[in-house]
Amino acid sequence: MAEVLQIFVGGVLLGAIYALIALGFSLIYRVTGVVNLSQGGFAVLAALAGYTFSQRLGLPLPIALLCAVGGTTVVGLAIGWFTFVPALKKLSNANVLMLTVGILTLIEGFSLIVWGSQPYSVPAFSGEQPLEIGGLRITTQTFWIIGTAIVIFLAVWFVISRTKVGKALRACSENPSAAALMGINVKRMTLLSFTLATLIAAVAGVVVAPTTTLQFNTGQLFTISGFIAVVIGGISSFPGAIVGGLFLGLVTQFATAYVSSLFSNAIALILLLFILIYAPTGLIPSKITRRQDVREEPRVWGHLTRLAPQTAWIAAAVGIVIAVVVPLVIPAAYISSLTIAAIIFLALIGLDLLMGYTGQVSLGQAGFMAIGGYTAGYLSINYGIEPVFGIAAGVMLSLLSALVLSIVTLRLRGLYLALATLAFGLLIDSCAIGFIDITGGPSGMVGIPSFSVGPLYFDTPMSMYFLVVAVDVVVLFCLFGALRTSFGRALQSIRSDQMAASALGINIVRYKLAVFMISAALASISGSLLAYSFNFLAPEMVGTARSLELVSMLVIGGEGTLVGPVFGSVLLTMLPTIFQPLAMYKTFFSGALLILCFLYLPRGMYGVIAHAMSRVSTPKTVANSQGLAEGGAQ
Amino acid sequence: MSQDLKQPNGTDILRVDGLSKKFGGLKATDGVNFSVQENSITALIGPNGAGKTTVFNLITNIFPPDEGTVAFFGKQIAGWSPMDIANLGLIRTFQSARVFPGLTVLENVMVGRHRLIKSSDFGQMLWSPESRREEMRIRSQALAMLKIVGLERFKDAHAVDLPMGAQKLLEVVRAVMGSPRLLCLDEPAAGLNDTETEELAALLRAIRAAGISILVVEHNMSLVMNVADHVVVLDAGRVIAAGSAAEVQRNPQVIEAYLGREQNAAA
Ligand SMILES: Nc1ncnc2c1ncn2[C@@H]1O[C@H](COP(=O)(O)OP(=O)(O)OP(=O)(O)O)[C@@H](O)[C@H]1O
Ligand SMILES: [Mg+2]
Repeated sequence: MAEVLQIFVGGVLLGAIYALIALGFSLIYRVTGVVNLSQGGFAVLAALAGYTFSQRLGLPLPIALLCAVGGTTVVGLAIGWFTFVPALKKLSNANVLMLTVGILTLIEGFSLIVWGSQPYSVPAFSGEQPLEIGGLRITTQTFWIIGTAIVIFLAVWFVISRTKVGKALRACSENPSAAALMGINVKRMTLLSFTLATLIAAVAGVVVAPTTTLQFNTGQLFTISGFIAVVIGGISSFPGAIVGGLFLGLVTQFATAYVSSLFSNAIALILLLFILIYAPTGLIPSKITRRQDVREEPRVWGHLTRLAPQTAWIAAAVGIVIAVVVPLVIPAAYISSLTIAAIIFLALIGLDLLMGYTGQVSLGQAGFMAIGGYTAGYLSINYGIEPVFGIAAGVMLSLLSALVLSIVTLRLRGLYLALATLAFGLLIDSCAIGFIDITGGPSGMVGIPSFSVGPLYFDTPMSMYFLVVAVDVVVLFCLFGALRTSFGRALQSIRSDQMAASALGINIVRYKLAVFMISAALASISGSLLAYSFNFLAPEMVGTARSLELVSMLVIGGEGTLVGPVFGSVLLTMLPTIFQPLAMYKTFFSGALLILCFLYLPRGMYGVIAHAMSRVSTPKTVANSQGLAEGGAQ
Repeated sequence: MSQDLKQPNGTDILRVDGLSKKFGGLKATDGVNFSVQENSITALIGPNGAGKTTVFNLITNIFPPDEGTVAFFGKQIAGWSPMDIANLGLIRTFQSARVFPGLTVLENVMVGRHRLIKSSDFGQMLWSPESRREEMRIRSQALAMLKIVGLERFKDAHAVDLPMGAQKLLEVVRAVMGSPRLLCLDEPAAGLNDTETEELAALLRAIRAAGISILVVEHNMSLVMNVADHVVVLDAGRVIAAGSAAEVQRNPQVIEAYLGREQNAAA
């Protein structure tokens, strides 16, 4: 009994932490309709800053924590001001979600530069000696955390339900355009909710810090747990955040105690998938309904980047020539890195099809890379199977997983889809780490043979490079064929307006399924090739961090452009190799570039290049002639 | 005249029976009955908020009705997905023009043809000759359609760069590309000037002459009087009158509904 109680207290503690992060999600979601995945990043930023102020600079604890929380909130305010708020006007919800991935990456990159990659542990506020209450041993920090959580919940409840600002916030969540008409400054309210959420995350971060080890990328875990909690509870209701947080905390604690810590994650994720299937609006759904026949996202986000056919063919030929010549002229040491870029590009092509063309956010694409890589590696090591069949087996398994996942996700859109794929990626992550007998666990799978087809061996970096480039080119050629005709138009219509697309008789489910399958297969092949090319595979090579990196590469290269992501892939893979000392800045820059591209270069590097090329080839005028202007006046 | 080749022939192709839908406490439509005859242009008119768009949404099952049935060519289509309804040949446009951003004007029109595409995805991936021929065919059809409405100059422009009126025309053309048997248009003339409205009237007649029946929601009375064979008047979710344009115009209830609205607006 005492044991159960002990676990229960642990669960409540964990639940309070999750609920705090979840509260921030819900606050922003209610006002803007989007989720801010950078939440956890701010928590860790505040915690690490608190560590520096109190342990390094020797400030008294209350002052140090106050500075940390204050500083983080100001940073949050600035980031909200310069990125989040303008993005809401320009980008679709799915892209704002990805932008917040960029913010998270930026914060992690910043932490990596300042604090390095080593773990930190922070002393408890009131000593390490636990209290004994009725046979239970409870650490003093538990009281701090639960107390803080209660204070914050009460404060938020008070602000929302009793003050004028709260009333304005509520008006925004019910109907932003009506609120604007009533004279409420929706932009300011958005910024306010973003800053408030940062503040809550920062407070949560500093009080939680003593109970965990902190690292530059711990923020991801906070974000993910908070996100799961908020979806379980119901994203647009505050009680939902609390219920979801506590529920998730208790489930994870009991699962850790009675099953195993490895599977506690898996259980949380399976729980989440069940909720997504059976109660997609969460345990405590809100009553807000929206008119469906008016477009929800009137923002102009579509951009037209078209190359004239001749220009495109010439560019393609030039591209292939460059791809062939570059490895012959660069130092041999860089070739394997170039190979990696080409391998990752394969996964990016699939992701572009899924995200760029069809508008389906996937944050778990590396999960399929893991399936492909481990399946192929395992079969080749243990059964000496031909690599081609190893790749095929990986693709089969990936397609199967994708099919199962689709059954869940096809009914979901935007946010929930992103979450389901994230959960999938994490599930695969924990399997890769947990099934040590098969995958080699955290230390990785060793002894994977090089790729070969019959008597042909691709065991030098150069040969592997040309193999991968050939695969890339064939895949690009096929997809380009489909994307330039009705297949591509159907995807783009689905991306921008599902209702109008279905009113024209386009089978949305079929196309989403097809695209999801193609992207899973490509990611899987990419994972297998990665394994064969390194002769080694470790969980972090194909983990959630990779999934997020893929998103950055895609956006930087140019989403919805098919070939654009190659620039993102080459840039983010090659630069750290060429400028070794800069490697630690990579995360920071990929986050910053992602944000900048979203805000200023909607078609990424591809857009810049294509624009320059079409300038050179055809000085074309855009439609703004007389007839058009007259047509507009009624 | 050639445009009168086909005339209403007395067969009902769409029959709406007792359609009711509540939003909260508000009865957006309340037992709406009417039908559309083959080869006719039927206009659905009524003051703002009368429930016209809601009727469209119920017919195409954007949301299900609380009560009532919709029969299209004798088939009960209540509960069918919007996609299946479109594939039966009932294609609609939206009140707020919903052209696809990210596609050119020409590509937008070509999307309309999608439901009739024959070449497979694999064929397209492998650049098969059939798929390329089909693509060429659709392209020239789309260009011809654009020419009819005078938008072919802008074929390579970004569709959302067009002014509202042109976007609405584009949407009509896109819907026609799908070879509908019944074309449902929600305020196609909004945003058009007088000459353009006349052109639209001609276009609608030409569409009917091609054997496509039309159900049109419109505020522009001169357009309605000009083209409609049959007019159904909706007010506060109920059908208050139906008949020829001239009959409806004389109906005291209709005058009352419109005048009442103007008085309210003036107050
Ligand atoms: N999805 C919805 N949710 C809530 N209310 C709705 C919804 N759709 C329509 N309504 C309400 O139903 C009523 C009828 O609306 P509808 O859009 O059908 O009118 P309408 O005749 O098309 O008007 P207009 O000429 O202005 O387009 C209005 O009061 C509207 O606010
Ligand atoms: Mg309407």
